[in-house]
Amino acid sequence: MITWWRQPWIRRLMTSLAVVAVVELMTGPSGSFAAPTTGLIGSYNERVSVYGLFVGRRWMVFLVLALAFFGVWSAWLRGGPRMRAALRASTASPRDVASRRPVRWGFYVVLLVVAGFLPHLVNDPYWQSVLVEQIAVFVLLALGLNVVVGFAGLLDLGFVAFYAIGAYTTAWVTGALPTPAPFDVHLNPFWAIPVAIVFVMVAGILLGTPTLRLRGDYLAIVTLGFGEIITIFANNLYGITGGSYGSGGTTGSHPIPHFSIALGPIHYRWTLAPVPYYYLTLVFVVLFIIGFSLLEHSRIGRAWTAIREDEVAAESVGINPLKYKVMAFAIGAASAGFAGVVTASQSNFIFPATFTLQLSINVLVLVIFGGMGSIPGVVAGAVVIQTVSMYLIHTPPAGFQESDLYMYIGALLIVTMIFRPAGLIPSRRRRREIVLSEAGESHADEVLTGDVA
Amino acid sequence: MSDLIFDVRNVTLRFGGVVSLNDVSLHQGRGEILAVIGPNGAGKTSLFNSLTGLYRPQEGVITFQGRDGVPLSIIGKKAHRVSAAGVARTFQASRMFSALTTFENVKIGAESHRGIGVLGAMVRGPRTRRGEHESDQRTLDLLAFVGLQEKANVVSASLSYGDRRRLEIARGLATNPQVLLLDEPAAGTNPAEKIQLTELIRRVRDERGVSILLIEHDMKLVMALAERLYVLNFGSVIAEGTPDEIRANPAVIEAYLGSAEQTEDRA
Repeated sequence: MITWWRQPWIRRLMTSLAVVAVVELMTGPSGSFAAPTTGLIGSYNERVSVYGLFVGRRWMVFLVLALAFFGVWSAWLRGGPRMRAALRASTASPRDVASRRPVRWGFYVVLLVVAGFLPHLVNDPYWQSVLVEQIAVFVLLALGLNVVVGFAGLLDLGFVAFYAIGAYTTAWVTGALPTPAPFDVHLNPFWAIPVAIVFVMVAGILLGTPTLRLRGDYLAIVTLGFGEIITIFANNLYGITGGSYGSGGTTGSHPIPHFSIALGPIHYRWTLAPVPYYYLTLVFVVLFIIGFSLLEHSRIGRAWTAIREDEVAAESVGINPLKYKVMAFAIGAASAGFAGVVTASQSNFIFPATFTLQLSINVLVLVIFGGMGSIPGVVAGAVVIQTVSMYLIHTPPAGFQESDLYMYIGALLIVTMIFRPAGLIPSRRRRREIVLSEAGESHADEVLTGDVA
Repeated sequence: MSDLIFDVRNVTLRFGGVVSLNDVSLHQGRGEILAVIGPNGAGKTSLFNSLTGLYRPQEGVITFQGRDGVPLSIIGKKAHRVSAAGVARTFQASRMFSALTTFENVKIGAESHRGIGVLGAMVRGPRTRRGEHESDQRTLDLLAFVGLQEKANVVSASLSYGDRRRLEIARGLATNPQVLLLDEPAAGTNPAEKIQLTELIRRVRDERGVSILLIEHDMKLVMALAERLYVLNFGSVIAEGTPDEIRANPAVIEAYLGSAEQTEDRA
């Protein structure tokens, strides 16, 4: 006879109460010193808001949620295996369905056409600017980080640094920083694109060469530091970067100009309107996707995979790990640099506060959620997560606060990892790696049968 | 002695206070099948790791003479440089790129010494395509050589132990080496696979002209293959000679084989 409190169902009940209590406290309004438990009983603001409808009965809500959680958990344990099988079947990889090439190409063309019409389909100023600032830019960032994390297997927590360098380089060469532009020529942002890309790639090489000798956790910490250093530089070097006021914060500087074309008879000027920027970014997104997927299937991509899987073995067949890792850093940085150009030019002003650790982590979440090492995956991941985030911020459901956003995104990520550990659209190689590490190599036979053409 | 492929002189390797290799000297002639035997912990794998640039011995000299005849000092060189010079190896516990196919595994070896051009890889111009084609041909050729052509598109993790060894040999050969270091190739293989493996190793030397340096516990395989042996014990070379000499060496029997009767059993 087990002691009553050791019974599994009691433990489940207690855990459910604890989990829901934590969630309640975290999603509730900030407490005050006088009433640190306002999270549970509700604040004045809540009583007068829509959400306040719940407040009087918030304890009841809490209990109902806890019991519901407990109920789902118990049901899961009872009907588990069958439900799990059903879930796995229903979330099976789309790749299995569309693995024949012509079908996939057709699929991509359709996607591109949809992407082309998207701004007119949404036809709403908020969503049109979200498309550029929050989706297209983050797709670019995710594509770049995917080269580093997904292809080469290097955990980079300071990816924002390259984004910032791209943006600040743009501001510099267009004459928007307190530092005079090189040669006193103010370039059109189009010319800033190659300059910024070269700058971030050099930054990638400079950062990579000393630090990529480190492995795993150590590398993550060093890159984290690098990201912070760049932000702090932007903040502190007032005379060069404009400090926390950002570009245009000092006398004599002017806004970062929009893109413009003057090619013979073709004259076009981008403006604050998001849609033209969307098309410009879309073109580059497609170019980066093509470039990166060619790389993935080239000998460079294979060398990255080899290093990721077994660095010692890779070195023994003649691959120089450091060289390829630095290359991954520099190449991945390129798309972040371009994202920086777009952000700088589109918003006219840049501020150090944009380039936070939060942003680095956000991009990493997109990559993990979408599927590390899978280009369609990280694009889908960026689109899905950024859309969900922006939807929640734009039309918050009852009880949603913007400060809680990352908690919900975190929960979404955890759930995704339980059911699709290799991400939304996993890369074939990554999925095999995960399957192999879960099953142990002895079972690889059964697990992998039929997976390869 | 210009036809030496490996010349190891007075190599000492320490990890803190532990002496892993103690004043080891040995040499290997070009085209020779040489074996290093010894009980567990004798320093055999440490020797391999020192020869391939993974470890850096504190004392001694390791000279490798590649196809151009220029002697190369191994100590202090990185493993990928040693590989580029013409030293290939396999690992005790197979280290394949498990999520890749057999074909991809070998191809990585075949193309690792080509120059890297990011733009070339992205644009796929004629030179890149020719390079790819050559690597593909080379890979197919090697897979046929080791008898894995049927399993070219199988994920390497699902190969049997015997096939993994062949894969590692093919991957090593793909780097176009002068010498192939095999770390316990027969471990985990069944008797039939052992016979095939013995034959394959001999063919690597005879048909490809690659010298073989072998670590092995399976005495039957060693005695059948090796032309000369070194015996390591506690990090030191205790004997050197032909298989027959080693079999008769009392120090070896004492240190490694235990007793004369056991020798008979295992041989």
